[in-house]
Amino acid sequence: MTIAKTFLAWLDRSQESIVRNLSLLVPLGGLIGLGAIFFWVPTDAKQGVVQRIFYIHVPAALVAYVAFGMVLLGSIAYLKTHNRRWDSFAHASAEVGVLFTGACIVAGMLWGRPEWGTYWAWDPRLTTTFVMLMIYVGYLLFRAMATDPTRGARLAAVIGIVGFVNVPLVHYSVDWWNGLHPNMRLINFNGPQSLPWQMMVTFAYMVAVFAGLFILLMMLRMRLENAQIALAEAEEAEAEAAHPASPAVRSGPAASPSPMGATQ
Amino acid sequence: MVLLAGKDLRSELRGREILPPMLIFGFILVFLFTINFPAAAGRAPIPPPSAGGIGSRTIAAAFLWVSLLFAGVLGFSRNASMEREGSRMEGLLLAPVDPAALFAGKALANFCYLWILELVIFPAFVLFFDVAPSTLLPGILPVALAANVGLASAGTLVGAASQYVRARELILPLLLFPIVLPLVLGAERLTASLLAGAGLGPQSQWFMLMGTFDLAIPAVGAVVFEYVVNE
Repeated sequence: MTIAKTFLAWLDRSQESIVRNLSLLVPLGGLIGLGAIFFWVPTDAKQGVVQRIFYIHVPAALVAYVAFGMVLLGSIAYLKTHNRRWDSFAHASAEVGVLFTGACIVAGMLWGRPEWGTYWAWDPRLTTTFVMLMIYVGYLLFRAMATDPTRGARLAAVIGIVGFVNVPLVHYSVDWWNGLHPNMRLINFNGPQSLPWQMMVTFAYMVAVFAGLFILLMMLRMRLENAQIALAEAEEAEAEAAHPASPAVRSGPAASPSPMGATQ
Repeated sequence: MVLLAGKDLRSELRGREILPPMLIFGFILVFLFTINFPAAAGRAPIPPPSAGGIGSRTIAAAFLWVSLLFAGVLGFSRNASMEREGSRMEGLLLAPVDPAALFAGKALANFCYLWILELVIFPAFVLFFDVAPSTLLPGILPVALAANVGLASAGTLVGAASQYVRARELILPLLLFPIVLPLVLGAERLTASLLAGAGLGPQSQWFMLMGTFDLAIPAVGAVVFEYVVNE
């Protein structure tokens, strides 16, 4: 748990500077990346221009997997420590993970239409991704629909753990279910040396850009959530200060012995 | 009348309790049906390795297990909501019982419900789908066992969690269906293999996967259950 504490302390100290730097670096790096994708990287011999969407699609998928791993870690840490910061860590990861999974699926569909002749196929990898998306949408819905926010955070943490344990099982099951679809394999790398170096560089670069974007979005999301928590606490404190004699004010007029209540 | 409808729609617009789960649930159903009924989704059903030409059998098995899943969810939902009424869960928590034992107990009850359900559904299936009972009978028992352990434990965990959210009847299947997908696919494949007269052998790999699920989900459930039910 000391690692967890050190991490939170580091986050507190460096959050602002990370946000400041990344909000400059990510858009700039993204533009350069787009330039590389459209003008610099050679066109794929077999697939043509559409192959370029992979520089978006694959990094988004990688980052989404990492994000859901972070939901798992944040969830475990939250249940162990009851520290709200871990909950907002997991929550932010889940939201950004869902966003990236969605981006990955949309990019994949745009590629699938010209390449496979269909936007969607129940290929094992697609199905696993889809189920994963559903589980984490469920995670977010549980939070949003919980009757009590603290309990919502705890329920979500449980789902964050169960969901992640489940992902490999889902993957194997749909893999066996659908049998072999060799024609539906995504890029066959055949050993990285067979690809032109520009492709490898662009790909690695885009992974870095997406990782930066992920960290930036996550930090912003966490900052927002922490601000919301602080606001709620401040409002509560203010209500307390305004009516120090009657703590029942917060639980509504029906419960308070005010004159208004008496006339009803 | 229009005013009343307007009131309902407005309150939904503000609260957003009905539409989001409804939409996602519909989405999941489409998903469940297209993945389980391959022929209907416009691609040829893939027969198990050693059994040829069993397209309709695959579909029959899919019908069986999707029906069981739907029926099971009703049970899980009732079993979990029972504790909410009259604050019975608080009573159970006050008793000197480990939350893990509480989880195991409720899962065991759901496990029994599933067997009773299957005791009725399997004969009906044999009858309506014109299946010789001997092709199904000894083999379906381990399949049902492997499916029931996982379904009951996942259903108990998600069922308990869904008690603390709004629109709980919608939320439970929403989360449960994607989680138990490996079990349902496995049970279907094994059943289809039985129906084709090929026995369980060619599809026995599924037992490994379902067994992993049956160990992993109850284990996680027993550990995290206290965080779900505790105040």
